[in-house]
Order: sequence, then C-alpha cells, then structure tokens
Amino acid sequence: MNSMKSDMKKKSEIDFRIVALGAAVALLVIFAGGAGMSLLATEILIMALFASSLNLLMSYGHMVSFGHAAYFGLGAYGFTLAIVRADIPVGLAVFAGPIVAMIGGLIFGALCVRLTEIYFAMLTLACGQITFTVLFQWYDFTGGDTGITDFMTPRFGLSEQYFAVFTLTIVILCLMFMWRVIHSPLGLAIRSVGQDRYRAEASGLNPRQLQLIAFTISAFLAGIAGTLFAVFHGNAFPDYAGLGFTLDSLIMVVLGGMKSFAGGIYGAIAYTLLKTYVPLVIQEWELVVGLILLFIVLATPFGLAGGIKRLQTMLGMGGKP
Amino acid sequence: MNQPILSAKAVRKTFGKFVALDNVTFDLQPKQRRALIGPNGAGKSTFIGCVAGQIPGAEGQILFKGEDVTKLQPSALAKRGISRTFQISRTFLHMTVFENMMSAFIMARGSWPSLSTRVFSDLEDEVHAMLGNVGMDTRANETVENISLGDRKRLEFGMALAADPDLLLLDEPTAGMSIKERHHLMDMVVELVESTGKTLLFVEHDIDVVFRVAEVVTVMVRGSVFVEGTPKEIAANEEVQKVYLGEGDH
Repeated sequence: MNSMKSDMKKKSEIDFRIVALGAAVALLVIFAGGAGMSLLATEILIMALFASSLNLLMSYGHMVSFGHAAYFGLGAYGFTLAIVRADIPVGLAVFAGPIVAMIGGLIFGALCVRLTEIYFAMLTLACGQITFTVLFQWYDFTGGDTGITDFMTPRFGLSEQYFAVFTLTIVILCLMFMWRVIHSPLGLAIRSVGQDRYRAEASGLNPRQLQLIAFTISAFLAGIAGTLFAVFHGNAFPDYAGLGFTLDSLIMVVLGGMKSFAGGIYGAIAYTLLKTYVPLVIQEWELVVGLILLFIVLATPFGLAGGIKRLQTMLGMGGKP
Repeated sequence: MNQPILSAKAVRKTFGKFVALDNVTFDLQPKQRRALIGPNGAGKSTFIGCVAGQIPGAEGQILFKGEDVTKLQPSALAKRGISRTFQISRTFLHMTVFENMMSAFIMARGSWPSLSTRVFSDLEDEVHAMLGNVGMDTRANETVENISLGDRKRLEFGMALAADPDLLLLDEPTAGMSIKERHHLMDMVVELVESTGKTLLFVEHDIDVVFRVAEVVTVMVRGSVFVEGTPKEIAANEEVQKVYLGEGDH
C-alpha cells in the first residue's frame, strides 16, 4: 500500500540526476567543442524545446498539429516586432515573443479543438498557413519575405559559448516546467482526454477546455523556442512559421519517440546532427533522413526513446524520463 | 409516490430516416434498481446515451431531479449527478489502474486545474478505498491495457462511482464476462448502490442477472417502451416472451 502511495508522487518528481547528467553533457560539448560546437548545441537545444512543445500535444494530449511552426514563428516575430515596431527594449521584448505565441495558441486553439483527429490536424494546418501568409505578405508591418534583420546584435552580443549556456538554462527550465505540468493534476486530465475523451467527459470534464489549455501551453513553449531562435540569429523570417519548420517538428517527435517525455529531445539531437553532417557527405541528405525515418518507424514505433527504453529493459536498467 | 429522479417525456431520436427512439416515456423512482432489456436494436443504449448526453439532438424532454436536462453536455450532466459506464468499457488504457481512478476523482471533484501534487496526496486514501470497493486495489500499479476486460469493467464501474452520482447508468456491465464473474460483479454493484443510496439503471442481456438485480424491469422494443413490471411480472408476460425471451437473443 505504501509503495503504491508513493508511486505517483515519485513519478511526478523531477529526477535531478538526469537533469544534471544532460546539462553536464551539454556543457562538455559547449566548452570542449569551442565556438562551432556551441552554435550547433544552441540549435539543438532550441529545437529540443520546440519539438518537446509539440510532443506535449502529440504524446500526452493525442493532438497532432500540422501547424506547430506558427507558434515558433509568432514567438520570433512577437519578440522582433516588439523591438522594431514598438521600441520595447530587448530585455523586455523577450517576454513579448512567448506571450504573442500564447495568445496565438489561445485563438487558433479555440478554433481547432472544436474538431478532432484528422479534422483537427487540418485546422491546425490552416491556422499555420494563415500565420505564415500574414507574416509573408504584410510588408509594412512584418517586412514580408525579406524578414527583419539588423535590429539587434545576435545572441545579445554574447560569445557563442555563453549564449549556448544561456540557452541551456532556459531550455532546462522550460522542460522542467513541462515535466511538472504533465505530472500534475492538470497533466493527468490532459492525458485522460487524450486517451479517452468520452470517459473524461462522462466523468465531468469538458474535453475541449482541456485541449485548449494544452494547446496554449504548447504554443507558449514553442514561442519561447522561437524567441530564442530569433535572438540566436538576430533576425526573423516568415519561414520560421512555415511548413518547413512544422515538418521539422513533426519529424523530430516521430524520430525521437512519441509516448515519451524525452522524445522531443532525442529527436532534436538526431535530426539536427543528421541535417548538419549528412549534407557534408551526400548531397541528397533529405533522402538519407527519409530512409532513417522509415527505418525507425518500422523498427521501433516509439522512436529513439522507445528503442532506448527497450535496450534498457534488456540490460536490466531503469527507464529514463 | 416521490418525484421521479429521472423522467423521460415522449423522447424521440432519429438518425436520418431511422427512428431509434420513438415516444419513450419513462419514470425512474429514486433509489430504485431498474433494468432495461429488449432485443438488439430496441434503443436501450441510445436511450442511455440520450440521458447521459453522449447522443445529442433528442426531441421531447428529459427531466433529472425535476430539471430539464435534455440539451446539456455530458460533462454538465456528470456534474449534476449522472454517471455512466459504456457498453465497451472506456478507461485510460495507457495509465495504471491507480492513475485511472485518480483521474476519475480529480475530474469529478473539479480539482484538476492545479499544478500541485498535493491534490494527489489528498485524494490517495479515497482512491485506494474505491479501488478496494471494486476489488482492484491489488492491481493498482498495473497498466490498464494489460488487465482483462472484466477487470476494466470493474475499474470503470469504480470510476463512475468516484463521482458519487445520484443516478448510475450501466450499459451492459457484464458483457463479455463469465457467469461467475457476472454474478460477482453485479453482487458488488448491488451492494455499493444499496449502501450509498444511489439509483441504478442498467442495460443487460443476461436474464439471470436482470432478475437477480432489478426491482423493476422495463422492456423496450423497436425504440419504444413495450411493458414495465417487476421481474416476476415480466417473466410471466407472454408478450414479452414472444418478442424477447423467445427470440433466443441470449
């Protein structure tokens, strides 16, 4: 009885050993790898947060979004436009990005959660394309397809290494927040709706309300990733909200592993590394990534995380989050 | 007679041209145990769905504790005290038995909008007690997809009870179970319903179970109420035997 009692609490607690391990590996790469590696690590970290935000929707809320880059883009533009159009200082503008993304998620989410399954996915696609088109076409405000550049020193003027550490800190905090959400009563309700909305509804929950909350949290986290990305490069382009980034986020989650908290993280590491190194060897890198994706989906349906878990069980070790 | 806890007045539900329910008028007294029987396609599950809100768009009127609830959403009905299980049990397959029951409690109590695990600790004892009531406490840490269909039915019954409803709707609670399991489950249902003073309305195909549990039986045929009576009356009714029992539906 007592062991059962502590089970749910234990599950909900953050295992700081794993956090520390992950941070140590990242720091090692950043400081041993020099400027070049720090840039790569920063990109991976930002993508890990972006993919994890989608993973929250897909793995726990059972909502597949085909327009998740919209909130990444809104984060980048919310930050950038706050500086360029509203003259807000950079230090405050960084808060504008996630907030704009969150508001975008709330508005689009309210529309999308009215439907489920593939119809939901189609609505998210439409919302994503609307966002992209507005950013792309509204020259007077967003700068259109030329984007917004030269409005700040990239990385706040920090060195590659220090900015990588800064990004690492933010991403860890965000992922800890996400972990907390998933393992809270709110998260249990989100998972419940994801697994059987009729049971949840019959138990007194309004599934749409829960889905909208999950969608908004997810958009907020994607917005933080987008803001970091805009700071990292010191620019914002409509592509950040486009289909390319949406596809990237979906690939990362599937590659990394659905039904697993770490799926987005593994996916971001694998995908970014593939994207960086395969083109050096072979020009048709998309083909290689496609083949790898095919292999992973067939070999281990729950992606890298699922594969790692299986390995751990085989080796008799405990599971990672 | 008391005011009925549930009262359906001329309820009609069509799917396109198909009339699933036609002029169903039905009163259910508080604390009664009522079985709903009838051949396949009689509209039993549709009626349950209309009362619990999963099937919207019924004509007529459904009153619960005197209030018109015809147009309410399932979640609103659950909050007013109507709880149900489904014909094919619905549980959260990728969670443990414990998490399922915990989820049912936080949803029913409305304590889900929180990031604090205090909510869990506060409810733990109740969750274990309810799991114990339905005989699932020893399996608390098992993932639901790994337990038998019968156990899922028991778990779902407990999850429906977690809301402490006034009216409990069970749609074929014993479908797919062995005879022994059926009687075991229904004895447990009767005991829990009796001890907490709930009203029970259940759809059941197994006549043994019906006669063992129900105080009143309502027979539905082709979307309408055919006859109502005590189990004895129903058993003796030749018309019923003709339309239902004689068909060898079960």
